[in-house]
Amino acid sequence: MKLYKKEGNIIQILSFPNETIEKGDYLLIEDAEAQKALIAQVIDVQFANIPGVLEELLRSLPDGGGIIQGEDIDPLEIAPHITYIQDSRLLICKIRATVEDEALTPSSSWLPSRSQSTIRKLPIYTLLKLAKVNGNLPIMLGGTKESSLLTIDASSLDGRLNIVTGKKETGKSHLSKLLITSLLQYKAVVVVLDLNGEYTGLGMTSDDKRNAYYNKIHVLTPSQNFKVALKQLHLNIILNILIHALHLPGTSAREFRRIWQFLKDKGNLTLHELGETIRNWNCNQNVRDALFSRYYALVNSGFFTDNIAEATLLEESLLKAREEGGAIIVNLRNTSSIDRQIVVEYILGKLLELLTSWRLKAVFLFAEEAHLYLRETYWDDIVTRMRHFGIFTTFITNQPDTIRENIYRQADNIFLFNFTNEHDLEVVSRAARVDAETVKSIARDLPPHHCLVLGKVVRDFPIVVKVRALDVKTMGETRLFFVGETAKDKS
Amino acid sequence: MVNTQYTITTTPKYNFPPNAMDNTLPQRFIELSIHSLKQVQNQSFQLNQQTIQQKSQEQLYALQLIPPIQPIPLNPKLEPPTTIAAVDTSSIKLGETAQGIIIAVRGTTIWKKAKNYAYLRVGPFIFHITEENLREVYNTLLKAYFREQNPQASPSFMQIPMRMANLLEKWLQTSLAKTVHDGLILFDGSLTAGTADTPTQQLKEILATARSMGNTVLAFTKATTLRFNGCLLTDAFPTHKPPCLIEVANLKPKPPLSLLGSVYVAKLAKGNYAFRLDIDREVPSPQRIEAVEKLLGNDLIMHGYPETLRLAHILCTFTANEVIAMQHFIQHRYRLKIINRPDMHRLLFGPFGKGESHSEAV
Repeated sequence: MKLYKKEGNIIQILSFPNETIEKGDYLLIEDAEAQKALIAQVIDVQFANIPGVLEELLRSLPDGGGIIQGEDIDPLEIAPHITYIQDSRLLICKIRATVEDEALTPSSSWLPSRSQSTIRKLPIYTLLKLAKVNGNLPIMLGGTKESSLLTIDASSLDGRLNIVTGKKETGKSHLSKLLITSLLQYKAVVVVLDLNGEYTGLGMTSDDKRNAYYNKIHVLTPSQNFKVALKQLHLNIILNILIHALHLPGTSAREFRRIWQFLKDKGNLTLHELGETIRNWNCNQNVRDALFSRYYALVNSGFFTDNIAEATLLEESLLKAREEGGAIIVNLRNTSSIDRQIVVEYILGKLLELLTSWRLKAVFLFAEEAHLYLRETYWDDIVTRMRHFGIFTTFITNQPDTIRENIYRQADNIFLFNFTNEHDLEVVSRAARVDAETVKSIARDLPPHHCLVLGKVVRDFPIVVKVRALDVKTMGETRLFFVGETAKDKS
Repeated sequence: MVNTQYTITTTPKYNFPPNAMDNTLPQRFIELSIHSLKQVQNQSFQLNQQTIQQKSQEQLYALQLIPPIQPIPLNPKLEPPTTIAAVDTSSIKLGETAQGIIIAVRGTTIWKKAKNYAYLRVGPFIFHITEENLREVYNTLLKAYFREQNPQASPSFMQIPMRMANLLEKWLQTSLAKTVHDGLILFDGSLTAGTADTPTQQLKEILATARSMGNTVLAFTKATTLRFNGCLLTDAFPTHKPPCLIEVANLKPKPPLSLLGSVYVAKLAKGNYAFRLDIDREVPSPQRIEAVEKLLGNDLIMHGYPETLRLAHILCTFTANEVIAMQHFIQHRYRLKIINRPDMHRLLFGPFGKGESHSEAV
């Protein structure tokens, strides 16, 4: 390999056919005289622009497109050299760091010698060692191309904002499950907003046996085993539900506050009493109608109950998880859009309440397709306010444009699976911790279950990893029409 | 010291034309090529800054033209199916060493039978030519292939690439003349003999051999310097409708030059493309016309030029990629250190220097 060109932090390296370098590989460009080396990552492999190649190709097809038959007597055996030159490649590399005295700096302000530098492939395990991507709380993500293992530190997810994205069926949920179970090993408290019921089998193995996490997984299905009584609710939480999920206007919200206070003072906070009070409350008819419509929405959601025994306390599950770690899976699979928002408002409100009062230290929140239930104002809250309270969110989505740009800007870690759509890649490339070229070039060619890890977990050295298998029961699979039909036909 | 043993295979028989050329590969070419290169190991090597392919120019000579007779109309003759064969060679200077220059030559024969083209490409042969071995290399080759011929005065350094290519071309022409029968053999250039690179006897022999096999030799000159009434010969007859031939009679070359062909202006296709065409003058006149008609009927004529000859040229020309590959070959095999001396044209005249800029491989 030979150093050819440098423009900005892009380096072009000439590589010959006997050197097997692929996209995503790291190269070490050593300048012995300067006693420094550059670490560069290959983000694209192109044909070198060899003069005369066009003529070479054209003359092999001069006969109206058909290959002309012939024989070459090449006594000096020049032909392999021609092929060698023709097949030489240009590696487009992004400078990632400088190594000096075995220490890494993100600088690319110096230029190695073009003629004297030696270039070699830098094995991922050496890079990880140099970058000190390890730690006391290892999470083994999977294998790199060189069959070395990629282990990240759980603490690099702590206090961070993460995004797991990629197109359908590339392995996003699988990676999320891997992260969740790994966090559980370190006694973390995890809350999963599970849109398709995919995480409900986390406590079971693929052959339906209990696994090591069984006792740490708490599946809460709204209006089934997850209900709340009005008495357990704080006024702020119910107001958030009414205003943000059910869009109650301000005037009506003020009346509701009075009604709530009135019932609370009477010690009569039940659904039935709430309905009766709204009916008899002395207020404008329009306000009453507005309050009634929201009241029936709450009743119809089935999420609220007057029976305290029936009300599963989220708080209880969370406090239980606090000691030994645990994951609260909120199964939103069969929940309508409005009800989902009600449930999420309740959960987030409750989490904030527990965290503010320091009854919980911190929570890792995994939110699948959050745009389907997260209200507008929460996006900013999550990246600014909630982080300080101890909610560390991981967004999982196959529609990257549903996540706001500022979330990408603030994201600390991105686990990027394959995307072929230019628009999707464009959106992801806005993340501050990565350059657009890397995202666009590498993510497009990622095979299924391969993930480009970006951000703090890998010390800003983008690394492609094949996510390791996990023995948990797969849930939330797409229901298929033809599977049964085919089986029937065959029988 | 490590001696490298090169596998110099004796040549497989050519697979075409049908009677197969009975000549072996130009063995002496290979031997001399390797021998000359062995003397250049571990030296520094300056890449050629002028990568223009060297090709001989048509020889100028005095002539007196009489007004031409009427154009000869041509009717493409498809029957009998005729083999069309063509030869072309190319040479290039790859670079300079402290002692001399490194050149490469390659030749191609191409033939068309029925609707198919096939080719045989010989080379590249790479030579290291120095003041010391110039004479030896050239005369050894000359002797090896044209025994009857008297050794010529050695060509100069500047001429040697062309002259070496010329030797290869003559060898390929001889081979074709011996193996093709009842066909048309197309040469690139004219049938003017008596020059340093085309001795009269040599060309006469080639033409005689071709005739003995029932072949007719046609030589196409792409750019002629012959003029008629102040006009280039090929531009002098714009009104004549193609396909036609206009015979240019009474040409008197200045001795020692001699014309072994009858000279025509050939307008073979629409579009005002005309070429000087020399046809073996020992072939009777009607047969010469018939030969051109057979060419029209059996080959593709693009821009008034036969496709077979065009392919011969295309296939033997060195592309930039091949030049780099050959430089790579000699650099690796003979441990030559490539040095990049600044281009003096560029150095002295800046953007006005027309010499090629520093060779940039990518």
